[in-house]
Amino acid sequence: MGVTVALDGQGVERGADALRAGAEAVIAEGIGIRLFGDPASLPEIDGAEVVPAADHISNDEEPVAAVRRRTDASVVRAAADAAEGHSDALVSAGPTGATMTAALFAMKRIKGVRRPALALQLAVPGHDGPPTLLLDVGANTEARSQDLVQFGVLGAAFSRAVLGVAAPRVALLSVGEESKKGTPIVIEAHEELAGLDGVDFIGNVEGRDLLGAVADVIVTDGFTGNVALKTLEGTAKAVGAAVSDAARSNPLAAMGGLLLRPALGGLRREMDPDTTGGAILLGLRGVAVVAHGSSGPDGIANAIRLAARTVSERAVDRTAELLASAGATRGDLAPDKKTS
Amino acid sequence: MSLDRDQVFEKVRSHLAEELGVAADSIVETTHFRDDLDADSLDLYELVMELEDTYGVTMSEQEAEGIVTVSQAVDFVVART
Repeated sequence: MGVTVALDGQGVERGADALRAGAEAVIAEGIGIRLFGDPASLPEIDGAEVVPAADHISNDEEPVAAVRRRTDASVVRAAADAAEGHSDALVSAGPTGATMTAALFAMKRIKGVRRPALALQLAVPGHDGPPTLLLDVGANTEARSQDLVQFGVLGAAFSRAVLGVAAPRVALLSVGEESKKGTPIVIEAHEELAGLDGVDFIGNVEGRDLLGAVADVIVTDGFTGNVALKTLEGTAKAVGAAVSDAARSNPLAAMGGLLLRPALGGLRREMDPDTTGGAILLGLRGVAVVAHGSSGPDGIANAIRLAARTVSERAVDRTAELLASAGATRGDLAPDKKTS
Repeated sequence: MSLDRDQVFEKVRSHLAEELGVAADSIVETTHFRDDLDADSLDLYELVMELEDTYGVTMSEQEAEGIVTVSQAVDFVVART
């Protein structure tokens, strides 16, 4: 039986056309869509089932209070729909905080997970292999060492199940490769990850390694992860603009720019956030994908494909299994259970 | 009709034991969520929602912030049903 995705129809910054084109692309591939929102403002999408939800949560609202009280908001209804089994996964391009909160409250955490993490696939330029998974990129501004350990397990399970990496290399983001480099929390997490069964922990990596294909999963707290992510995005934008300016600086450079255009176009597509579709909230008993607010048709379609693949590969069950077999549940990692 | 206090206590205890991965018999009326169970705000929100869904009560943010022990959570539910 095919996968059905609960799609939040509100909050797509690029509007109804992007939503319609993205949804119709995946419907043509056999993915079912239940579309939540105000029918008056939703586009007509061939093959999608519209589920009326008159309210929506905006970016400037406090997520927890809004999700608890705005029960007819499209993202709240869509998350409940997936949690209750009417659909298999949630995808929203609306406010990240509201989407995460709605998913968390409706789907609940996997037993033994203390904090879910938001994971994003980083396309590695010029690398043919699977993308590097960075988590947490913003679900938790603070994390304990046990959270970082769990993020490593969540990331490894996802990388294995959904990205097809047989033995994902898990690394910890720090300020040096040595095990004693970093904050006390990072140093403690390093020690715990190194002792974990079933996870290939390769040690620390630094910020410069994020796009270096040196690890399949890179773990950090949500504050650092979000800063790192935005730094990458800003750097890529600035360098791209500088290359473009340089290519127009004189006739010879323009000729070189023309010759490079096909290759640069491919690189641009590879690095485009729409290519990965968005971030996935790991550690829940269900599947929730936060698409970029600025997603175009490809971004919407790829976010839905990511959700569908996560469902069909049983990533949630496989994550729970790895948490248990690695001895990385909340109970396993509790301070009074540690041997060190 | 008010609920049986023991039933509500069992509901709170089983929820916390399940979600926090602790032994149910380690949770008693005087158990403090943060100090004894290392529960954080997310754990408490999930407990609040579980109680709201199960018993049809409504707990405001301010009321939720004032509930720090198992007995206070049980008292809140029993008093409103």
